[in-house]
Amino acid sequence: MLYLRIATFAFGLICSSATSLLFAQDINTQLLACGACHGIDGNSKIVGTPSLAGQPKIFLENQMAMIREGMRDIPVMKGQLDGFSDATIVAIAKFYASNSIQSQAGTRNQSMYEKGEYISKEALCGTCHLPNYVGRDQMPRIASQSEAYLLHTMRQFRSNKATGRDTIMAASLYGMSDDDLKAIAHYLSQLK
Amino acid sequence: MNLSKNSTNKGVRLISSLWVVAPLVAIFAGCATAPPEKPKAAATPAPAAAAPPPAWKQGMGADMANSTLAPLAGKMTVTPASDIPINKLKLPPGFKIEVWATGMPGARAMALGDNGKVYIGTRAIGRVYEVTDNGKERTSRVVVDKLVQPAGVAFNNGSLYVMAIDKVLRFDGIDKNASVTPVDLTAKFNLPPEQHHNWKYIAFGPDGKLYVPFGAPCNICELPTAEYAQIRRYNPDGSGMEVLATGVRNTVGFDWHPTTKQLWFTNHGRDWMGDNTPNDTLNLMSKTGLNFGFPYCHQGNLPDNVITKANACQGVEQPIALMGPHVATMGIKFYTGNMFPPEYKDAALIARKGSWNRNQKVGFDVVMVKAGNDGKNPKITPFITGFMNPADQSFWGRPAYLMQMTDGSMLVSDEQLGAIYRVTYSKQQVAAK
Repeated sequence: MLYLRIATFAFGLICSSATSLLFAQDINTQLLACGACHGIDGNSKIVGTPSLAGQPKIFLENQMAMIREGMRDIPVMKGQLDGFSDATIVAIAKFYASNSIQSQAGTRNQSMYEKGEYISKEALCGTCHLPNYVGRDQMPRIASQSEAYLLHTMRQFRSNKATGRDTIMAASLYGMSDDDLKAIAHYLSQLK
Repeated sequence: MNLSKNSTNKGVRLISSLWVVAPLVAIFAGCATAPPEKPKAAATPAPAAAAPPPAWKQGMGADMANSTLAPLAGKMTVTPASDIPINKLKLPPGFKIEVWATGMPGARAMALGDNGKVYIGTRAIGRVYEVTDNGKERTSRVVVDKLVQPAGVAFNNGSLYVMAIDKVLRFDGIDKNASVTPVDLTAKFNLPPEQHHNWKYIAFGPDGKLYVPFGAPCNICELPTAEYAQIRRYNPDGSGMEVLATGVRNTVGFDWHPTTKQLWFTNHGRDWMGDNTPNDTLNLMSKTGLNFGFPYCHQGNLPDNVITKANACQGVEQPIALMGPHVATMGIKFYTGNMFPPEYKDAALIARKGSWNRNQKVGFDVVMVKAGNDGKNPKITPFITGFMNPADQSFWGRPAYLMQMTDGSMLVSDEQLGAIYRVTYSKQQVAAK
């Protein structure tokens, strides 16, 4: 009973803090649905599911719009945003953008980390994602993102399967080996 | 997009091979700065297979390796009129600007239907909108969606033409039948495979033909095949294709001079060649078969520093006017109405969407270009300013295209906020100021 009360209390806290960040939009139902996989505060505990916390607001808005429109095709997201108004999308983006991301990374593999650091610099990832990889505007934060998700999404870009997304990334990873991508994913996921 | 795949030419392969091996990348892009520390435990990463850098990043010089300049963010959600700071815009005395319609994220080029409906193309969001004016307010709907950058819209003989990067659709009688099934003309137009700079501005000329640009599929490169960096025209059904001009890097705006009926077009200059070079240009196609310089020569007189050849600018057509470096010169409309003062008659209004590849932002405005019918003695003056604040480098809007209404007012699309503004003039407004 005590546990239940604590859980209810904690849940209430999360909801009320969420509500205070929003304007007229009541998005608590939507946030619960998103939170099931992406984490209630946007920090996902599920391997391979990206964290949304701390992402730039415009990036989140644009990706949700693209997913809703069917331009960006993610099987598990299919239909999830059907009927979401632009105002709802903006409110959800505002919520996650204002939370801070917490790296879920495991133990650091030093040689892989250093290799990833090196390649990320050579490939000039920091031009758009900024030198500390925190992202800006339409370009996502990649520091402290899920390692498995980073690897998955970079493999998609490499094989030109990341359709419906910003064409600026389209050719950025062509020709990189899987080991290169693994090293980059490991390095970025470790960053705070 | 793999530029080298179909390429038989040296320039593309040169850039590709430079990108291949990490240490060489440093020579290409980073030798002016301290190279990153090599990992101690791991060996230098294995060389990657041949691949060019992303199109927008090609030609990025060593001096810019630490640059964080990048294309500016688009917005894909609706902006309510109350969130548009229209009062920040400044125009000459007597002119007024108001929000005419909003709620069309990504709104770019506009085409006027026979019954006054306005059709609007977009890029990333993949939609074409239709705006209906009931005299008091405007409503919009999506005509078609899920297209790959359907930026090109034109209206001709009762039909709406929509051109995406990989698709051409014609909606016959759409003003009477809102849900008409489009005719797919794609096969007739023989569109090339590369996507970059191949989103379109399209328009029907005084000759009844459809004019279509094919941009260079890169920032700077030897063309992978000859079908890029061209302006072409077609019969409305896609037959009778003619190449009218070559060496045109990326034109996304043109109009015909009201008197001479010659085509004037804007053209985007390349990136990563310094804050002040090269300029975007305004050009005149005085006859067919002219070469406008890409990739060897920019703005008629500036040889490229990456893709070089002897006498790079020999035989290259000179622009009418330099429109400013990296300003993103977009839509152009000659004013032919009677609402604006006489000095606007036959003057060109040109939208400059605003720079990203420059440390101090420029553009983010609409200018008037007054020149002789032959393009001589151009004079550029501001027409609409206030989208960008030079002091703190912030911006809120990006004017992209212009369209004259039958009453002589002028519509301006704002691609950033997905809104259309209407510019009017009256003597009372002069007095009020």
